[in-house]
Amino acid sequence: MIKDLKRVRNIGISAHIDSGKTTLTERVLFYTDRIHKINEVRGKDGTGAVMDSMDLERERGITIASAATYCEWKNHNINIIDTPGHVDFTVEVERSLRVLDGVVLILCSVSGVQSQSITVDQQMKRYEVPCIAFVNKCDRSGANPAKVARQLKDKLGHNSVLMQLPIGLEDRHEGVIDLVAMKACYFEGDHGERVAVKDIPENMRDQAQEARDEMIDAASLFSEELTDAILEESDISDVMIKKAIRTGVLARHITPVFLGSAYKNKAVQPLLDAVIDYLPSPLDINNEAIDLDNNEESVVLESNFDKPTVALAFKLEDGQYGQLTYLRVYQGSITKGSTLINSRDGKKIKAGRLIRMHASQMEDVEEIPAGHIGAMFGIDCASGDTFVSPSINYSMLAMHVMDPVISLSIVPKDNKAQINMSKALNRFTKEDPTFKTYVDHETGDTIIQGMGELHLEVYVERMKREYQAEVTTGKPRVAYRETITQKALFNYTHKKQTGGAGQFGRVAGAMEPCEEEFEFVNKITGGRIPTQYIPACEKGFQACMAKGPKLEFPVTGIRVTIDDGAYHAVDSSEMAFQAAARGAFLEAYGKARPVIKEPIMKVVIETPNEFQGSCMGLINQRRGIIQGSQEEGVMSVIESQVPLSEMFGFSTILRSATQGKAQFTMEFSSYKQVPQSIAEDIIKQKQEEKKA
Amino acid sequence: MLKKDLNLRSPIEKIIGIDNITTSNFGAVLSRAGVGKTRFLVQIALTRLLQDEKIVHVSLDDSMEKINLRYNEGYTNLVDSIGYVDPQKALRLWDDINLNKVGISYNEASFDTTKIRDYLKSFNKAQLPMPALMIIDGLDFDEDITEVLEELKSLNQEFAISIWFAMRSHRDEALGKDGYPVQLETRQKLFDKAVFLQPVNNKIQALVLKDGNNTNQKFLLEPATMMLVPGNT
Repeated sequence: MIKDLKRVRNIGISAHIDSGKTTLTERVLFYTDRIHKINEVRGKDGTGAVMDSMDLERERGITIASAATYCEWKNHNINIIDTPGHVDFTVEVERSLRVLDGVVLILCSVSGVQSQSITVDQQMKRYEVPCIAFVNKCDRSGANPAKVARQLKDKLGHNSVLMQLPIGLEDRHEGVIDLVAMKACYFEGDHGERVAVKDIPENMRDQAQEARDEMIDAASLFSEELTDAILEESDISDVMIKKAIRTGVLARHITPVFLGSAYKNKAVQPLLDAVIDYLPSPLDINNEAIDLDNNEESVVLESNFDKPTVALAFKLEDGQYGQLTYLRVYQGSITKGSTLINSRDGKKIKAGRLIRMHASQMEDVEEIPAGHIGAMFGIDCASGDTFVSPSINYSMLAMHVMDPVISLSIVPKDNKAQINMSKALNRFTKEDPTFKTYVDHETGDTIIQGMGELHLEVYVERMKREYQAEVTTGKPRVAYRETITQKALFNYTHKKQTGGAGQFGRVAGAMEPCEEEFEFVNKITGGRIPTQYIPACEKGFQACMAKGPKLEFPVTGIRVTIDDGAYHAVDSSEMAFQAAARGAFLEAYGKARPVIKEPIMKVVIETPNEFQGSCMGLINQRRGIIQGSQEEGVMSVIESQVPLSEMFGFSTILRSATQGKAQFTMEFSSYKQVPQSIAEDIIKQKQEEKKA
Repeated sequence: MLKKDLNLRSPIEKIIGIDNITTSNFGAVLSRAGVGKTRFLVQIALTRLLQDEKIVHVSLDDSMEKINLRYNEGYTNLVDSIGYVDPQKALRLWDDINLNKVGISYNEASFDTTKIRDYLKSFNKAQLPMPALMIIDGLDFDEDITEVLEELKSLNQEFAISIWFAMRSHRDEALGKDGYPVQLETRQKLFDKAVFLQPVNNKIQALVLKDGNNTNQKFLLEPATMMLVPGNT
């Protein structure tokens, strides 16, 4: 592995589903000599792209797990993480962004900035990842890269600037004009592997000059040298422009836009040049950890091989040789046989076989130095764990993980399936923090929870394929919550005298709605409840939040204020005050007008214009609220908020309503109160379940 | 309380009358480009939103984001006209009423009332309250749009939804023989309400062109906010 970190790039490829991420990655691997044959996604050759390593991915044409791979380009090491495009798998995208230094944002030249691009962009902002854009599919009918660059500005607020102009569009797309070198690039050979650099076609010279002036104007904001050169009308070198753009990109103040068609093998090599020219090396990025031995103070990590090691496990895979853990090393290095500590549980591990991945093929390495991404065999850990040298106790900052919104009961078909299912669930929960599982003690069913129908569907399918665990699934269930809508007072005395030591505690105060999950306010004065019993009161109230008295859904948004109480010198205890708090909660809860809340999803439908009216109708019929609809060329985008409970089976309904031409994305938005009529149905259903 | 206050401050209350909007079938706001037709229409829509009614804003010019921005701005102007309002309260009210607004942006070339019909039908199908008002902004009244207007008229009758249009007139065009801009003159029978906006001495004058007894009343509006100039009617 290259130790000169200036020549290392850790990049991700992010985009909306079906924008051509996997196709682009395949081309990159081909041009960098990592593969010798190009396979298409859902290819006619039946092979599928190399990056889609799971059978399921190849079948559905979507990339579920982030396959990590590396390649070399012009004496640089590029580590690439191919990320999933479907919103249900965004935790994968989030995890990738956590360990990456830069991103290539792929946009479709026909569809432009789509809903998922917006989500990915928000995630990039959260992790402050610099990016460059690639407008793909310029060979498609209706391609309009200039419009897409404008949308980057208008919809995502990027300071986008075109670095290339297309030579022909749609079926006449031949190549691109490089506005820095002011040359035309054509791509020759069976797979476009030979880049032919020629003069700009006569009829495009003026247009190219105008676009170059615009680009230089935008770049000049990031370089005094360039500004001076413009003012003095002296020569502007390519290096000067590239340096200015790079500064802008690293500060996330400019987004250079490149064009091409990965499928038609056009302009992938210039994009690789751009990755090297404009995206940051590990040295350009400020990475921080928290020092667990020093009040969780932030510590800046240095890409120094001699410093103690700090590495983050960002992805787990179960392979034939056991668990494969993908790591990004931020400081120091991991060598074969070195001792590391998992800072989450303090467990000591010995680094065994180290590899770097090329999709499903492995290459053994002796060391993974700082700044690089690699994988390690034979360690037991969870995704998001930090590994450090024994001399330090750092943890990388926690990743943003959302709570699951949907659950499904699964029942194994036989005993063998039961054993395999447990193994699979154990693996999946370690791999994916948004996938959770538990056993419902009342029904004895195993419940899996996740971020959407497709998310759970994929795991059920993986159980069958990878673990031979045949399971039957129940109906998907929504993760309802309970809350209160008005203030209610409580004054509860817990008194028990049944021989032996008695129990006594009285708590009084109020319960009211609030924005936080749970808030406890202590306004006890004059020692009416002794200080040592206050935490017990809080514990008692909090214990009631897990299962609401109304329908046994978790309770949220409650502020409890205690302002009065009483104790007994002998009979009061922590247990007595916990019991008093539980009694007080039940007493006030019924009076505080409890209601049920349900998860509301942000649903974005993209449909051909002719189906816009009927798609809006589908949302209306699902208690949805349409926020707006926009025609963009031949397609319409409808943004709406719809209760998750109404979205089951929506993909089938949408397909049949639009002849399969529309697609939708869905992500969690917020919790909102369930209308009365629906609440009554839920109550009825819950009662029937209890009876059964 | 805030809702009531806002409705009282609304320029629509004075110029058209809030009850009047609920009974109108077809209404038009006329002016030459850039005077404030859309902003006036947004105020009309806001009055309906403040009555907890649903509205649909169809634009052939603005993007969905732009439509949303216009409503945000219109609401802010209305709130600011009261004086001090608890910002949290104002925001909560906006969050509530904003749910009843649907902005639809169409390409002018592909604008087709069938899509609107499909959409409105779905309210009946799902037994939901029908939107009370539809704003149509960007329709070119210099063209022959008789067919589109007839279809919209049939929507108005079928779904009992009021429709208000932005109608662009031109500075250098003479008025018709009935004193209306030509865009309205030929279609005056279709419209039962019409307001004409024109700049007068750094203000905007709203002249009621068509509204029974109120016809020919004049009001002055602040050009920046489209709120009534105090004491100046």
